[in-house]
Amino acid sequence: MKIAWKEMKKSKTKFVILGSIIFLVSFLTFIISGLASGLSQDNAALIKDVPQGQFYLDKDADKTYNLSKIDEGVQKQILIDNPDATAFSVQMGFVNDTEDKQYSVAFVTSTESELFANVKEGEIVLDSSLKEDGIKVGDVLTNNQFSGEFVVKGFVDQQKYSHAPVGFIHMTNYQEIYRVLEMQTIFIPGKDAPTLSALDSFSNKEFLNAIPSYSAEQMSLNMIVWFLVIISGMLFAIFFYMMNVQKIGLYGILKAIGMKTMSLFKMIWYQMLVITAISLALSITLSQLFSFVAPEGMPFHLTMDTVLMLSTVFMVVGFIGATISGFQVKNIEPLQAIQQGEM
Amino acid sequence: MSTFTIEEVKKTFSNGEIDEEILKGVNLSLREGEITALVGPSGSGKSTILTIAAGLQKASGGEIMFEGQDMTKMTQEEIRHIRATDFGFVFQSSHLVPFLTVEEQLELMLDVSETKLNRKEQAKAIDNMLKLVEMVHRKDAYPSSLSGGERQRVAIARAIIHRPKILFADEPTASLDTKRSKAVMELLQELTRTLNLTTLMVTHDEEMLPYADRIITMRDGYIVE
Repeated sequence: MKIAWKEMKKSKTKFVILGSIIFLVSFLTFIISGLASGLSQDNAALIKDVPQGQFYLDKDADKTYNLSKIDEGVQKQILIDNPDATAFSVQMGFVNDTEDKQYSVAFVTSTESELFANVKEGEIVLDSSLKEDGIKVGDVLTNNQFSGEFVVKGFVDQQKYSHAPVGFIHMTNYQEIYRVLEMQTIFIPGKDAPTLSALDSFSNKEFLNAIPSYSAEQMSLNMIVWFLVIISGMLFAIFFYMMNVQKIGLYGILKAIGMKTMSLFKMIWYQMLVITAISLALSITLSQLFSFVAPEGMPFHLTMDTVLMLSTVFMVVGFIGATISGFQVKNIEPLQAIQQGEM
Repeated sequence: MSTFTIEEVKKTFSNGEIDEEILKGVNLSLREGEITALVGPSGSGKSTILTIAAGLQKASGGEIMFEGQDMTKMTQEEIRHIRATDFGFVFQSSHLVPFLTVEEQLELMLDVSETKLNRKEQAKAIDNMLKLVEMVHRKDAYPSSLSGGERQRVAIARAIIHRPKILFADEPTASLDTKRSKAVMELLQELTRTLNLTTLMVTHDEEMLPYADRIITMRDGYIVE
């Protein structure tokens, strides 16, 4: 593939322009993907971090988490039949510190479980993001609907729900604040979770989509990501198509002297591969650096798995785009090129 | 001995509802170590017969025998293989690859023809060929920095570096002035003899005819002389 490399070296400007566009598109894709993942964590880390299993909601809730109220008798029986099961509820609320400064939190309460922080009455365990607001272990917090006080017993990392830090409280305190006796959800871990006729069952992914705004937020960001991926594929197709049009004469002569059409395809693929690899290497490096310099409040979470998956998709889409443009090369007649004169 | 014969080759082009017969049954044999020049007025079919013989377009009828095999019955891939290994081409324009140096143009042809040479042998073959066409001193030059005559010399070197059996030259001096044209023809004549090539050349320039061993005149799709 020396010829492909030589062409890239000799026509640097052309290839640098394409490379820059691919770099910008892939960089933007990584950033938006990181943002989508960050927002997803910000919105539902509490749920995303639980192991695979089944979530159960009241049938009358019409698959809407907030409306679910599981009958106490049903809940009791399920917890007896499934010792690993947990019943839990999440509702948005506020806590005030001693200076009456208000913090938005998602109150979470659950039956005894290893999945969620277990606290005693009058205690609260908060997401560590609230440390940045000056809240410390031992601080006293209040809530307008709660007659008592919460003492901060500790912090947990990455426990957010609906873009708010989570506050784990005791079930009795929760029932007082929200004036409810029933829990909203039951979670049974494991792949072989039972089907419960009285309740609607959801996988982890399905349950995430039942969280208000989660799927709408993720869907729009993912749509942007995939549009960018498609745009990059089209860029390759258009760029190589334009280049191929310019090089019809050259390809014709190469075919006339006996070069295989497959060798010409390999030339296009090699160039696509080099451009994409360099562009992706740059955008991966910069997007990783971006996670360090991103503004404090910006939810940005770009995992290597996502980067590798998107990079593979970029490669595949680039390959398809370049190949589509290559079909034009297949149809070039050597004679036509010879008759066109000097290249 | 003739290794290449054309028998009753016809070519018809369809132009809408009208069929135009460009070649009306051409017979021709080429001989080793000789330049055969095809001459004739425009539209006589001389370039068409050269491109058909070179496997660049199909004949409508007749046979093209190369080393005992009828090329008209071969697949596209078989013809491509022959073009890569047994044929050499010199065109009216040099048609060099613009982003390859003189040396790399020859390397490319050795790759295309799948000539089995190690790195050292390849370098030596290229060096010898460039000496033969007196272009060693410009081996690192790109086509854009070469004169018309130099480009055509490189094109000739590229056409024969893989030691083809047949050399097809379509108006090889058309883009050159008289002095450079003569130099190119002297080179073609010398190479045809020293390398025992079979050369078929199309030309409209009568001044180039003395360099040919045989002159064949075409008119209206027939060989007339």
